[in-house]
Formats: sequence, structure tokens, C-alpha cells
Amino acid sequence: MSQKYAFFPGCVLKGAAAEAYTSLTKVCEKLGIEIEEIPNWTCCGASHAQGVNELAALAVNARNISIAEHMGLPILTVCNTCTLQLRTAKARLYADKELRDRVNGLLKDAGHPYEYKGTSEITHFLWLLDDHPELLEGKIKNPLTGMKVACYYGCHILRPQEVMNHGDGKHPEYMEKLVRKLGAEPVFFGASRKCCGFHAQLAAERDVLTVTGQIVDSADKADAQCIATPCPLCQMQLDMYEPEGRDAVHSRAEVPILHLQQLIGFALGLSKTDVGFDRHVSAQDKLKIG
Amino acid sequence: MDVKLTIHRFVEGKEWTQDYNVTVTTGMTVLEALTQIKEKQDPTLSFTCSCRSSICGACAVRVNGNAELACEMLVEKLVERYQTNELTIQPLGNFKVLRDLIVDWDPKYAELKKIKPALQPKADTSMETGCLQSPAEFNKYKKLAGCILCGSCISECNKNTLNQGDFLPPFAFVKGQKFTADSRDADPKGRLKAIVDAGLWRCFNCQECTAKCPKGLDPAAAIEHLKEATFRYGLADNVGAKHAKAIYDDISESGMLDEAKLNIKSEGFFAAGLRAPMAIRLMKVGKMDPFESHPVNPEIKTIQKLVKAAEAASKDEQGTGTVASGEPLIKGKQVGEVLA
Repeated sequence: MSQKYAFFPGCVLKGAAAEAYTSLTKVCEKLGIEIEEIPNWTCCGASHAQGVNELAALAVNARNISIAEHMGLPILTVCNTCTLQLRTAKARLYADKELRDRVNGLLKDAGHPYEYKGTSEITHFLWLLDDHPELLEGKIKNPLTGMKVACYYGCHILRPQEVMNHGDGKHPEYMEKLVRKLGAEPVFFGASRKCCGFHAQLAAERDVLTVTGQIVDSADKADAQCIATPCPLCQMQLDMYEPEGRDAVHSRAEVPILHLQQLIGFALGLSKTDVGFDRHVSAQDKLKIG
Repeated sequence: MDVKLTIHRFVEGKEWTQDYNVTVTTGMTVLEALTQIKEKQDPTLSFTCSCRSSICGACAVRVNGNAELACEMLVEKLVERYQTNELTIQPLGNFKVLRDLIVDWDPKYAELKKIKPALQPKADTSMETGCLQSPAEFNKYKKLAGCILCGSCISECNKNTLNQGDFLPPFAFVKGQKFTADSRDADPKGRLKAIVDAGLWRCFNCQECTAKCPKGLDPAAAIEHLKEATFRYGLADNVGAKHAKAIYDDISESGMLDEAKLNIKSEGFFAAGLRAPMAIRLMKVGKMDPFESHPVNPEIKTIQKLVKAAEAASKDEQGTGTVASGEPLIKGKQVGEVLA
């Protein structure tokens, strides 16, 4: 197995969710996964660009993927939405040769040096650890014994099955399996499959804040000590808007919202400062680990 | 193998769950199990079905929280997925329940009517010449005509679960895109306007509709194609569209989202100003720095050319985007093999 990946960070890891990047870097170092950022990558379109111009959204992602192909490396992501956009581009370009030729024509005309070939695998950090359990073997220095974790997958890592195709999107269990490996106990919570609403925060604000509140409240009622998520957008939505979510559903729940790699970092012996927990908005004093 | 089916019952205002044991035979569908219960154990159990061939769309129910077409889903497949012999069957989500597994479609038809679900023929259509259409034009909406109105797409729709008052069922967007993409239609703009007003931009993009469609129609993609069409028809003057456009423009301007300016571009300066408390909250923990300059991708000229070229190349692809509208991505193939 290749232990080196072309890393596609996505925009929020360079901005509001920078702690997701620093914690990933530290965790990958401890696990022996080498990551090299894809040079000059662009935004994946954030699940919005295709609603403005689908061909343009496809072309920019073909460009992103082609740079990783030129590096000769598979692509690693930590954002559900980036993963979906990149894999959608790959699936479409695989299914339609005419479209692939057309997109390659656009890349060439724009002066992009590489052709899109479709040779790089595109995987998510959570999937990587699920596919390669040996990466964690002997590395758990600080098992999270007794810690109750609400596993919040988010949407775009599960659906559509045809594009994402890791485990069963209607009944995923791989994150719970991973959390058990860290020594923690995954808890069932009723709102675990609800969408956090991040992508409609501006267009359907009231509904989005309600569901944000429902998710956090539901995890709290299940006695979860934290919510962990493989998606930085879900993390931002639940963490940044936790107070408004509380108001929307008349809840008192205060639950720390962790990036998956932060939770793993704690099990590997990293501290709160190491994983950038001081950059979180909500429930700063509620986290009992790290 | 025996399975225990826990069925949500609802009769004349009374709600309860009832367990039934069924011996599963090879190839037994959920509908066959329900029929067997009704014939041999409990004639009062009510559900709807007709064709038994995945065509009429009458038998969709929810099994363990996911919408399934009862006549095509095998009980053994569900036992394998959930790793249990105990399954819970409920009526479809986001519907009013009439009795047991039977749901009320009347409010949904009322929603569907909002998108004007009938072709408005162009003026040159006549009894003598009909309304000619090329195979290429037909192919733009052909797939979407395969909707069987089973209701699976709305069952777990996150937006509809929260509030149905300002949104549509996903199948209504599928129908809307079908007519919008039909070259014979006289008034795509009028229909699009109605679809925007009915809540097009409030979709959460949770992909539940696409995951649940038993016909592989991809309602979530239909919604995106409709959004794309609103830009072509000059109907994109709302906060959702402006937000999408701001993100899209950021790709050409710097290559990356400019988080600090995103709300101003989406909502306007004044409305975004009302979000100052959130900005302060983010600044406090170092998540936002209004004085930090936004980096520009060193290859921005190439990226701009690429986006411009894509726009020019797709200029005449009215309404359907660039990929055959609603085509399943790689349905039927093991995508794992393809994408690995």
C-alpha cells in the first residue's frame, strides 16, 4: 500500500477550520502516513458551483485531480463535500468518454499542463483508516476508555452510494468500529443521520439552526461526551452555531464537536493544544480528555 | 430463516407497533412478506400495492428508517445489511398517515401542481405537424420521465422533515426539470420562476433523495440543473443563488473561498452586518481574521481561462447542464473498482 498521499485540503482547512489541518498533520505523522498538499489546487465548488455552471465545476475538479495524477499519488481528503465533488467529477468523466475528451480540450486550451486521466484513487481519511486498520496498531498510547462518542458521519461521505461506495451508505458502521478501536464507546443517538444543513445556512436559516440544535441535543440526551465528525463543514456548523441551535430547540446541551482526527489525536497521546481545541467555539470547558 | 417484522400500525387515531414472524423463502420481497401477513396472520394490516414490478410506485415503505420499494427489496438483503433478523417497517416519512402503511398523497399532488406539471406547447405546434423533437433533445429529459411517483425521495428529505411549507418534494423538482429541459415547452422561464418561488434554493443538498430513488433518477442533480437554468434565465436574484455565485466566482478570483467576504457577497452588506456577533465570536477563537489578506492561486490565469472556456462551451446547453440530465453516474457497476 502506498503510504503517501496527495492531500486535497479544501478551503475551510486554510481558514476557519485550520485546526483540522494542523491536527491531521500531527496525526498522520504519528501514523506514518505521508501527505503532500496538491500544489495550486482550487476550491472543489463546495457543492454550489455546479448549480451555477456544471461544466466549469467539472473542469476545475478535473484540473485538481490531474495535478495529483501528475504527482503519481492517490488523493486524500478530510472534507465530505470535497470528497463528493472530486469523486463525482471522476465518476462522470469515467462514465462519459465524450465528456472526458471535452474537459481535456478545455484544460488544454486554458494552458493547463496535464491531461485528466482518471488514474488517482480519491479517498477520505476515515476510509483510509477503515481500509488499513494496521495503521493504528500499537499506536494507541492513551486509550479513550469510558469516553462516550456520538459518531456523526454527515451526508456527503455516505451518499450517493454510486459515487461514494464505501460500506453501506444506508447503514454505515465503520466510524463506530474506528471509535471502538480508540478505546471509546460509540453511542446511538436519534439524530445521527440528520443533515447539519451547512450548505443551506443562508437560504433556509431557521430550519438549519433547528436541525443543528436537534443533533447536538440528541447526542447530549444519549450521554455523549462529544460529537466526532469526519467532515469539517459539519464540525463548523455544529460548533459555531451550537448556541443558536440551543435556542432554536430550547435545549441546554453543550457538547464539544470534534474533528475525527482530533479524537484520534487524543488517543495517540496529543493534547488539546496540539490538536487546536482552543480554536473551538462551543463547550470549551466540557471536554474531559487531552 | 425467520424474521420478526415490527410494523408501525395506525388505525382511526390509534398508534401502536405490532410484531409478526415470517418464514423467509429465497427471493421473498418485503411486499410478499406483508401480503403473507395479511393473508395468513392479520387481515386488518393495511398497505398499498399494485404492479409488483417496480413500475406503479404504490408500495414504498420505510424499513429501518430508509425508504424502499417493497416489491423489489428482498427481505434477505435487508437482513444482510442490518445484520439482524428483526426489521422495523413504517409508512414513508414526511407524509400524513391514513392507515397503517398507507399515506395521503393529496397534499403532495397539490405541491406538484405548483411546478405546472404539464407541457405548455410552443406556438408552432399543430395538429398537422405535431411538435417535432430530435433524439438529442429527447435524451435531455428522457431519463427523468422514469419517475414512478413512489414517494421514496421525500421520505428522508432533511428539508421536508424540518418544514414542508416553503419547499417541494424532490419528485416535484424532477418533474420540473423534465419540463424545463423539454425543447417543446413554451414557457420554461415561467415554470422556473414558479420553482424558485416554491423553494428551489432551500435544498440542503443532503443527497437523501438520490440515495432513495429506486429508479436511479438523481433528484439532487435535477435540483442542481434547475439552479443552473435559473442563471441562464436571469432568475438568480435571491440569497441562495447569490451565495452559490459568490462561491463560484471565488474560484476564478483567487482559486479559493474568501470566507470573510462570503456573507457580504451572498446577503449584501447590510444583512451581513447583522451577523457581526457571529464574526466577533469567530475572531475570538482565531477562526476569522478580517485583516488577513486572502491568498491568490499562482495559476489563477489558467483557472480563469478554464472557467471562461467552460462557460463558453456550455452557453447553448439550455437548462440541462452538460452531463445528460439525471443520468445515473455509474449505476450497476462496482464504482469501487472504477474509482480505486
